[in-house]
Amino acid sequence: MARQQGWFALILALAIAAGALLFSWNTPITPLGQRLGLDLRGGSQLTLQVQPAGAITTVRKEQLDAVKDVLDRRINGLGVAESTLQTVGDDQLVLQLPGEQDPTRAATVLGTTALLEFRAQKPGTEQRMQELLTLKRQATALLIRLGQPSQSDPDPEPNQIEPNQAEPKQAEPKQADRDQVQADLQRINADIVALYEPASLSGKDLVTAGRQQQQSGSGWDVTLSFNKEGGDKFAQLTQSIAGTGRLLGIVLDGRSISEASVGPEFQAAGITGGSASITGNFSAEEARDLEVQLRGGSLPLPVKILEVRTIGPSLGAENIRTSLLAALTGLLLVAVFMVVVYRLAGVVAVVALSLYGLFNLAAYALIPVTMTLPGIAGFILSLGMAVDANVLIFERIKEELREGNTLIRSIDTGFSLAFSSIVDGQVTTLISCIALFALGTGFVKGFAVTLGIGVLLSLFSALTCTRTLLRVLMSYPALRRIDYFLPLAQRPERVA
Amino acid sequence: MFAFRVNRHRRRLLLLSLGALVLSILGMALSWSSPSIRAPLRPGLDFTGGTQIQLERRCESACPPLTVSSLQRSLAALKLPADGANPAPALAGASVQLLDGGRSLVARTPSLSPDQAQVVLQALQDQVGDTVPGGLSIDTIGPTLGSQLLQASLVSLLVSFVGISLYISFRYDRIYAALALLCLAHDVLITCGLFAWLGLLAGVEVNSLFAVALLTIAGYSVNDTVVIFDRIREKRNQLKDLPLADQADEAVISTLTRSVYTSLTTLLPLIALIFFGGSTLYWFAIALSFGILVGAWSSIGVAPTLLPVLSRR
Repeated sequence: MARQQGWFALILALAIAAGALLFSWNTPITPLGQRLGLDLRGGSQLTLQVQPAGAITTVRKEQLDAVKDVLDRRINGLGVAESTLQTVGDDQLVLQLPGEQDPTRAATVLGTTALLEFRAQKPGTEQRMQELLTLKRQATALLIRLGQPSQSDPDPEPNQIEPNQAEPKQAEPKQADRDQVQADLQRINADIVALYEPASLSGKDLVTAGRQQQQSGSGWDVTLSFNKEGGDKFAQLTQSIAGTGRLLGIVLDGRSISEASVGPEFQAAGITGGSASITGNFSAEEARDLEVQLRGGSLPLPVKILEVRTIGPSLGAENIRTSLLAALTGLLLVAVFMVVVYRLAGVVAVVALSLYGLFNLAAYALIPVTMTLPGIAGFILSLGMAVDANVLIFERIKEELREGNTLIRSIDTGFSLAFSSIVDGQVTTLISCIALFALGTGFVKGFAVTLGIGVLLSLFSALTCTRTLLRVLMSYPALRRIDYFLPLAQRPERVA
Repeated sequence: MFAFRVNRHRRRLLLLSLGALVLSILGMALSWSSPSIRAPLRPGLDFTGGTQIQLERRCESACPPLTVSSLQRSLAALKLPADGANPAPALAGASVQLLDGGRSLVARTPSLSPDQAQVVLQALQDQVGDTVPGGLSIDTIGPTLGSQLLQASLVSLLVSFVGISLYISFRYDRIYAALALLCLAHDVLITCGLFAWLGLLAGVEVNSLFAVALLTIAGYSVNDTVVIFDRIREKRNQLKDLPLADQADEAVISTLTRSVYTSLTTLLPLIALIFFGGSTLYWFAIALSFGILVGAWSSIGVAPTLLPVLSRR
């Protein structure tokens, strides 16, 4: 009996600990709120794949992490709430944006390959370059007048476009003009790029970019700093064009975003020391945009967007809430069923299964497990098995009672006979959980985790909780009545 | 419980299962040969890849009528911007569906970049009128992701089958292991068969939730079968003089109550889900309940009747 009381105390202590854990872990308003997967909360999910490029044919862990670092910075710049970026497998990244946030902006920012190159202008093209740059300035100015920001200047001063926005009717017929100028500008930029040598220095050697206000005047400079290799290449590159009047082109995704000249004082050795600044009298916005583009440009490998998945809150969450409510009603029916069929033992089973649910929730909070729909499916399956274990035991107890055995003896035999089938069933399930968790991806993993936890806990629940509770109850003689377990009609006449 | 001796009706029981299997395989074959499906089951967006745009219309009492063909025509005429080096996909084959009496609208196109999806969305909104902001969803799934998902799931399933059969061979013997896997295949195949027919006749698509349902059914099936096996082993020790067929029958009879109760308690929440749950989980709940019924059937009607047949050899 002392052993029973020991177990009983342990179960009670665990239940209190689990309850305390759940209440301290979550604010009462959003129980488990942070631990719900996107399919339950609503939101959007982007899956990105890192593409091998150039000398790199397979993407390794370090490269994936390097890409993640850059993307992390880009996302922080977007200012979205509670987003998470995780690496998945060897070459994939998953970005989750909960709530009603527009994934399109994130997709555009993240999906831009942003391959950054530093290229020197070809000799003998100075005249043509001057013409093109003049054209570019004209086109940009024209665009601003037409009320459409140019591509290299996505965020112009708001007051520049205000007059046109106030007169949308007038802006309408200008659409064709705008498209025309945009196309011209793109062609000019492409022509400029054609005037450069092939790239000798790419964004992967750029460590960081920044901006600073000019010491004299109100303009801004953009600063660059390279790693050792990049610094050497940059020195060579700048030395080759210093003082010639030829320009250094900064090319992003095949588009010239900036052209810089290198002063004659660098003719001897180029710009050494691995850092440089572009002095272009930039406005604060221009400098910030260029900085962001340069930083983004240091993405070591291009990424491709595989998937953008949106679950609008009214489509997903509401729907699922009603479903969960329905499932809970079903579980209540199961409890009623157990009590009707197994009487006192059924009551014990309902208590044990409630403890089982509590332990599961505590385990999810501790590990921690993010609840998704497949996860709930895994939990329901494990719950089904936990109920099954109780059914198996109680049916055995009934069988023993029908054969005329005493109550205490029937309970003991029932547990020991049901033991092997319960263990076999749970072990086979556990084996598939391990395989699914180790080899599966995405939802399969979520399913395997909750099923595995559930199976382990259901062994404890059925074999320890139910048994201990029953034994403790049986220590009260008033409860030791066979008709609390089996209708007396099914009990055989005592054979002497 | 009543004494139904399954091995006396072996032929009829097995024929029933065989018939269901043949019907299932026929359904999958028909589905495969159907020009609009070309797969054993009608694959949803999760497996085909592509972009799906869903809109909910905001209208007072009745929505102004829309026709699918006019929407499709306007999509086909749409010019999309190119996505970097990749040319824009053609939208001539895009499909448009009206749901809930025209209240919501689903358009399916080849995979679109975020910018392209915005263009399509704009074009749809121009025609549809006011929409509910929260009801909008744009899903884009690359074709590689679907096959990757399928491949990883299949590999992990196969490995778990090997693990399960090794464990059962160790605890029982090889025939039991083979039978457990046979029952598992039986349950999964017949569930797939039902959805093949549903796909053919009612246009029901399978998504990744269906794959989760299959995993659940597989786990349930093995658990169910193992309980019967455990009882057969016990009866073999108790009733040494009887032939195996009678031992198996005794085992089924003494576990029948448990099998019925267990299936019932698992089905209760699922049935509540079918009738009162939301549409997201509707087909998921149907797949699960059907699979659990088939699983209960195979552990009562297939495993104990095939065991004496296989053991004789």
